[in-house]
Amino acid sequence: MLKITNLHAKVGDKAILTGLNLEVKAGEVHAIMGPNGSGKSTLSYVLAGRDGYTVTEGSALYQGSDLLAMAPEVRAREGVFLAFQYPVEIPGVSNKYFLKAAYNAQRKHRGEPEMDAGAFLKFIKEKAKLVEMIPSLLNRSVNEGFSGGEKKRNEILQLAVLEPRLALLDETDSGLDIDALKIVANGINKLRNPTRAVVLVTHYQRLLDYIVPDFVHVLSGGRIVKSGGKELALHLEKEGYGWIEAQSGKSAVAA
Amino acid sequence: MTALLSTGGKSSWRGSAHWDAIRRAGEPQWLNALREAARASYELSGPPHARLESWRFTPTAALAGVDFEPATAPDRLEPLAGRVLCPLGFHRVVLVNGLREGRHEALKDLPPGVKVSGLVEALREEPEVIRPLLELPLPAELPLATLATAHFRDGIVLRVAKNTRVDRPIYLVHQTQTGADGRARAAHVRVIVIIEDGAEAELIEESLGDGSVPFWTNSVVQVILGDNAKLKHYRVAREHESGRRTTALLVTVGRDARYESHVFNLGGALVREDLRLTLTAPGGDAALNGLSLLHGDEIADHHTVVTHDTVGGTTRELYRAVVDEKARYIFDGLIAVSPGAQKTDAQVYNRNLLLSEAASVNTNPEFKIYADDVSCKHGGTIGQLSSEALFYMRARGIGADEARRLLIYAFGSEMVARVKIEPLRVALEAALRLRMPHEVKRL
Repeated sequence: MLKITNLHAKVGDKAILTGLNLEVKAGEVHAIMGPNGSGKSTLSYVLAGRDGYTVTEGSALYQGSDLLAMAPEVRAREGVFLAFQYPVEIPGVSNKYFLKAAYNAQRKHRGEPEMDAGAFLKFIKEKAKLVEMIPSLLNRSVNEGFSGGEKKRNEILQLAVLEPRLALLDETDSGLDIDALKIVANGINKLRNPTRAVVLVTHYQRLLDYIVPDFVHVLSGGRIVKSGGKELALHLEKEGYGWIEAQSGKSAVAA
Repeated sequence: MTALLSTGGKSSWRGSAHWDAIRRAGEPQWLNALREAARASYELSGPPHARLESWRFTPTAALAGVDFEPATAPDRLEPLAGRVLCPLGFHRVVLVNGLREGRHEALKDLPPGVKVSGLVEALREEPEVIRPLLELPLPAELPLATLATAHFRDGIVLRVAKNTRVDRPIYLVHQTQTGADGRARAAHVRVIVIIEDGAEAELIEESLGDGSVPFWTNSVVQVILGDNAKLKHYRVAREHESGRRTTALLVTVGRDARYESHVFNLGGALVREDLRLTLTAPGGDAALNGLSLLHGDEIADHHTVVTHDTVGGTTRELYRAVVDEKARYIFDGLIAVSPGAQKTDAQVYNRNLLLSEAASVNTNPEFKIYADDVSCKHGGTIGQLSSEALFYMRARGIGADEARRLLIYAFGSEMVARVKIEPLRVALEAALRLRMPHEVKRL
């Protein structure tokens, strides 16, 4: 599904990713953890194609194609979805219009007919139930005046509507209370199946109680310095990131 | 030099056939005197020029650089159906080239207490009402308003009697038709709107240009709101690309009365509105909304002065502009709070979206406050499309051009959404879509 090899990226003049390797297969859930400033969000943005993030070396293949060569909208239409850490407010564009434009862009890309307004409305109302979203939020401007929790739920609604093959979730758990966290986790779990993959980027272990990962990776200094099973997350929760950074620092020196 | 704008020389309107025609119209002595005084005053002030503070950023070439002749009634009348934005079912009155056109009117079922007349007719039938209004001194800094007084041929008077509610909008169409001779024309118009105590009305003014020859409509619109009166005043400028439109809009708002205004600029070489609004009694409320969608070489200019003269007045002012290609937008919004106008609650904002490097905006929202217990906020922004919002949309599969178009549309549609007359709102949404840039360039 996704194969990242020796990825180097910088923001402005600052090198953030310094040789990252990661392989994600269909059906898997990966968690990428790491301290602040380790490059977690940069990785998400590079994979989604945000301006201002320059790849200087390495590659990322998505279903065998060069992901980094695609425009952001093409990546999305091909089934890559980034749930934003800070969802953007778009005054004047209604949530349901936005969803419809996104959904139909994807269908058009696949050569499928666009869904008409009536059918789409029914479709998203069902999806909104799934994330326990108040229907009136569909008529409001995208994320405008939404609470933190509502914004995150809106991301999961988009996820449920677009049904991506590869979902990247950037700190989706931050700022959520426990009830909202369960709803969000439930939305993601419903998407899990053998044809899809999920990459959870998170600072805390908490989300992983609800979405159990197959693999946990620790990102530090712009690359993955340790990988393991879900028990690694629990260990990190207890011990913090210090021991990993110390260890990887030593190994870097040794190398 | 222009025939109508110049203050001297052989082509000046002094002694022109036009002037003689007006004087021969059998007008009363006081009106002749008023016109003479206006003419004399205009000769002293002269036409607007860049050295005037209020015209500093507004190129005057579209007016001063053209030789305008007085407009006359067109030979052949263009139909309105299919061209105007609003349904023909509204109460309708029409000025064609500044002259009342009875054949386009639909005033038969005005409710009792509502009176719509031509200005010439009103001068004849109720001079005691019209005369003091025409004689009200005009702001000295609006020479074009003075010019309109000297030259108007006709206009419209709308009166809504005490405690009357008008059942549906009153629709005033300013239609301009240029002649086949290809000569630039100008029409001067005065409009009077009186909403008496406790009365409520909706007035839509749409200006509709045609042809490709410069046509200039210069008008003075006086609005008087009595105590507890309410007026929603919509103005839509749809001039053709060489149409010019200048308006002095003079509004007084009575006790606990509300004036709500929505102005849309959807085209014209130069469209300028000078709004002077005064809250004359406690509890007055003004809501001023504007949206200008400009491209090509178009220029739009909104100069507003809102004066809070007494306690407890409210102003909410928001003007927006989308400025593309080489177009230019000028906003100057002053709110003046007089001594003693305590508990004033006023906001003035101007938000602009620049879509091209050659486009320009000058914005100046400001306050002059002479009272100490007030809440006043103001702000002006000139920005480009949000790169964050663009990326967010693209990350959901929406193409870059489509995303830009959506954002521009959204910026404008928030103002359109404030229009509560449904057919007008729907028509404005369609007009907004038509004014979207064909190619949305990346800045």
